[in-house]
Amino acid sequence: MKARKRIARAQDLLAEIGLEPERVEMFNMSAAMAAEFAAAATEMTERIAEMGPNPLRVHRPESAGG
Amino acid sequence: MIIAEQKPLEEIKDLVGDAEKVLVAGCGTCVTICFAGGAREAETLAASLRMSTRLDGATKTITDTNIQRQCEWEFLDEQREGILDADVVVSLACGIGVQAMVERFPQAWVVPGVDTSFLGVPAEQGLWEERCAACGECILGITAGICPIARCAKSLLNGPCGGSEDGHCEVDPATPCAWQLIHDRLTSVGRTEILINPQPPKNWKAARDGGPRRIIRDDLRIVAEQE
Repeated sequence: MKARKRIARAQDLLAEIGLEPERVEMFNMSAAMAAEFAAAATEMTERIAEMGPNPLRVHRPESAGG
Repeated sequence: MIIAEQKPLEEIKDLVGDAEKVLVAGCGTCVTICFAGGAREAETLAASLRMSTRLDGATKTITDTNIQRQCEWEFLDEQREGILDADVVVSLACGIGVQAMVERFPQAWVVPGVDTSFLGVPAEQGLWEERCAACGECILGITAGICPIARCAKSLLNGPCGGSEDGHCEVDPATPCAWQLIHDRLTSVGRTEILINPQPPKNWKAARDGGPRRIIRDDLRIVAEQE
């Protein structure tokens, strides 16, 4: 599957740059697999929460939003 | 075409050193086709360098561009300003492109972002294989269009050697034996008589053994006309 190989390549690039490759992940499921989708979303949310925010993300003050 | 492979990011970062203005220059020909150093790779490398540099706590201005052919003055001249403005240019062209840029702009500091690997073909999607050794005296006319200089580990003119096993090379079983391919092809076209006369030793002076090579065409040289 081409997408899986591309995700692996993206993970390699992240590792080379110095970011955690686990920040990107591919999950396989059909549109009817709601429970699996929710589980994957929860897993990623917990994983990212543990790793912390992307250190390269520019901090924007909340007042600047809109 | 010329086949190249991008260097690891760490090596490129070492080559960039403490330069502050970095220009990543892709090349629009061979390295684009082999996905090593075209516009897209230049853009990706520049982004990777920017992110990695920020993680290191350094500040650099990293931009990218693409030059249609880095091995020709005309195309280099189009981007003279950007090249000279940079503290370092990471050229994603082959070794020829890097040297052409240095020759054209002696003030510029240019480092290679790829390793130039060989002259070859895209054998299939994601697979490139060597086909030509640029030996200076082409023998494809007597070897059924299959080059034993580039494709035989021993560059034999009269093969195969004793290390050919089941049509593969003893040096690397993943490599087809060039002489097996030659025999098979000559047999299929009914021209095995070509192999009756052994080939004499090759003149390697036409290859790299004679030192750096050059070709002069007086009918084309503008300098020659003026003299």
